[in-house]
Amino acid sequence: MVRELPKTDVVIVGAGWTGLAAAKELADAGQRCVVIERGDWRHDASNFGAPEEHDELKYARRKEHMIDTQTKTLSFRNSSDQTALPMRRLGSFLPGKGLGGAGIHWNGQLWRPLPSDLKMRSHYADRYGEAILDGLNVQDWGVTYDELEPHLDFFDRVCGTAGVAGNLNGETKEGGNPFEGPRSADYPNPPMKASPPLQLFQKTAQEMGYHPFQMPSANVTKAYENAYGAQLHPCTYCGFCERFGCGYYAKADPIICIYDVVKDHENFELRMNSQVLRVEKSADGKTATGVTYLDERGQEVFQPADTVCLNAYALWNVHLMLVSGLGKPYDPETGEGTVGRNYAYQTLAAAGVFFDKEVWSNPFMGAGALGMTIDDFNGDNFDHTDLGFVGGGYISANQTNGRPINYHPTPPDTPSWGPEWKKAVRENYLHHVGIVCHGSSVAVPGNYLDLDPTYKDAYGQPLLRMTFDFPENDRRMSAYVLSKAEEIARNMDNVRAVSTVNRAAEGESYSVVPYQTTHNTGGAVIGTDPTTSVVNRYGQMWDHHNVFVFGACLFPQNLGYNPTGPLMGLAYWTLDHMKNDYLQNPRPLMDA
Amino acid sequence: MKLARTTLLAILTIGLGPVAIVQAQDSGGEPGMNELERRLNVDSVMFNATIDQKPDNDLLELGRLVAMGSAEQGGSGMACITCHGVDGQGDGSAAFPRLDGQAGWYLFKQLQDYASGDRPNRVMTGIAQRLTEREREAVAAYYATMPAGDLKTAHGDIDGRVLQWGGQLAAVGSAEKGIPACVNCHGAQGTGLPPSVPYLAGQYAGYMQLQLELWKEGTRDNDAMDVMSTIADKMSKEDMRAVAEYYARVSNPADEGPEPEVDYDMPAAE
Repeated sequence: MVRELPKTDVVIVGAGWTGLAAAKELADAGQRCVVIERGDWRHDASNFGAPEEHDELKYARRKEHMIDTQTKTLSFRNSSDQTALPMRRLGSFLPGKGLGGAGIHWNGQLWRPLPSDLKMRSHYADRYGEAILDGLNVQDWGVTYDELEPHLDFFDRVCGTAGVAGNLNGETKEGGNPFEGPRSADYPNPPMKASPPLQLFQKTAQEMGYHPFQMPSANVTKAYENAYGAQLHPCTYCGFCERFGCGYYAKADPIICIYDVVKDHENFELRMNSQVLRVEKSADGKTATGVTYLDERGQEVFQPADTVCLNAYALWNVHLMLVSGLGKPYDPETGEGTVGRNYAYQTLAAAGVFFDKEVWSNPFMGAGALGMTIDDFNGDNFDHTDLGFVGGGYISANQTNGRPINYHPTPPDTPSWGPEWKKAVRENYLHHVGIVCHGSSVAVPGNYLDLDPTYKDAYGQPLLRMTFDFPENDRRMSAYVLSKAEEIARNMDNVRAVSTVNRAAEGESYSVVPYQTTHNTGGAVIGTDPTTSVVNRYGQMWDHHNVFVFGACLFPQNLGYNPTGPLMGLAYWTLDHMKNDYLQNPRPLMDA
Repeated sequence: MKLARTTLLAILTIGLGPVAIVQAQDSGGEPGMNELERRLNVDSVMFNATIDQKPDNDLLELGRLVAMGSAEQGGSGMACITCHGVDGQGDGSAAFPRLDGQAGWYLFKQLQDYASGDRPNRVMTGIAQRLTEREREAVAAYYATMPAGDLKTAHGDIDGRVLQWGGQLAAVGSAEKGIPACVNCHGAQGTGLPPSVPYLAGQYAGYMQLQLELWKEGTRDNDAMDVMSTIADKMSKEDMRAVAEYYARVSNPADEGPEPEVDYDMPAAE
């Protein structure tokens, strides 16, 4: 017997960045919000304090902040002629769970999309001709940079982002990223301190004619009161961002930036340890009526609501749509249907730089977004004529951590174990920096998400099935950007050796085993054409107008940037249209 | 009277080797020089953050002279031991912090900051200004080499609930007030994280509470990342008192330094 609760105005699935932002904005707008989160309550002060939090084995290796694959996972295959198998251990990407979601264990690398990224198809077609996009499902986002800018700016003020503006109201500024879209205001905080390897990268990149700048960082550099009145503290460069929560109040996260200021709101209710099973639809199928979930005692509960917000992790939003029958599932055979279509990832490669004894990197002093970056080979910031690919990536010397289990840089030709390996680790640990190539990922017809025909999760629902391999376009892009990174590495002073790794190397299939990045995108993409997008340009489902979708599942293809900044810009854009238009008169905001 | 006595001490102690010293306070005596030398290699003593060379015996000897009131530029005018004690354990009044076994680089930086005015203090600024940089290093190393250990000073009566609140702030902070826990930086047991983070365990409560107040009002503002003023800003006077009284009671056991090297006689095989 399913227990039915009193109706609420808005039900929000997931208490991460987008879910808590939605709750705060909609509660302030007079909407009664119920947020349903599958994981535990936790807080930066009481749960993420050092020294317990700095337990690399527990959090980085055993991944205790992340989703538990015994209850919830997906199955994976490289292509549709293979049989997918369940991913029984986390590897390539790390979806979170619990209050704050994956937003507590991000690195804080906070980017904006390029203006041309958001109209990728029309931009490339205009500049190079349609043929350059042959075989790719590259699309325009349907929303422009100028439309998103106020919302991207607002999120900078939620996080207290640290950086140097490169384009302030159209004026190019020294020391910033000259390729970025115009900012309406400067970064709220000054950039992070640059360590010696970052300074060397900056010098060399400058000498080579590139435009280095400090990576925009949500590791806050000064005491800061955010846009909601929450107090953030300065970063101590402890080197435990990625995979860890921050007990210093220094890495912007959904708990300290938003939850703390909404938790006592009369319109806010948070239900923890509750697993949403499906979104229920009205008899005519045109609207959603609420969500059914398992409460903390394992009992099935129906929460009716006027409006449903899907704020789970990108992959789980798509899964929820598929098991609930929302939208039309994508069929790779015919190319029809949209839910699960345009799944994309992030294309990563890196050059390792080994310095002589003159240069000390001291990698244990790091921060998730401590980096010196060039954007010269990202997006369409460079001429793609005759290169054979679209897209690109940023190149960044990053000093994120020097954790004892994970961080053992050794130069090429070092044995992988034994006394020689140990000697190499001793000699290089303090004299190394990694230069990452953080590349875009195009959507192609053969990469998609659907439901697995065989395997089920702990709730008896079919697993989400991921079919993905790196498209040829991205392999060419990655090799090209990596060659540029390697060139910079070799030109730096005091360099003894350079190593390279390319996850999208020619001839190798994508593997879900080695960690790459938790930047899964697409599957429920935004757009202006219902045959190629799940939601309209306001994040509203074409097929069910009272369902709004948030997160990186909206990306038509993945950017060369980390997704949190862009997806939060989209979230505030959607919330703006909900508050100021939809809620007064619920209806489809665009004609299909 | 006390000043006169310590000046005399300073003269007496110029010279090498163990010298019998009248105690500036009752508890403990000056640790033996050999013992201090052995501790020069302890991480918390080493200045690996700023100077190229490890502290050596010469530095330690100079540090001892400075502590006793002697110095190149006519001395500080006051011997450190007057207020901080020969053993660095303070005079028990809680007005002066104990320095024994405190992180060496931290002590040095405080002297630098007193001298530059970054940490203004009516007494210490003048003293620090009259020391050379080398002397500041030396006296910092000297006190850093003393093993900390628990003081035998009595603590006043206090409501157990205040101590419990202090312990909670120390261990898990306050999610309600947005106060991060002290253990984040000052170590699980409050014994500090050298080179830059001082210990709190066993420090005098009065001193710690005053420092939190100074951080809050902005008089003290000299930590590298500007973390402390942000934290203190969120604390009430009661919070400060609670956490200071708590840490004053936390054990800071003497660090014996590295194991002395011992030649073992292999037992004969049976």
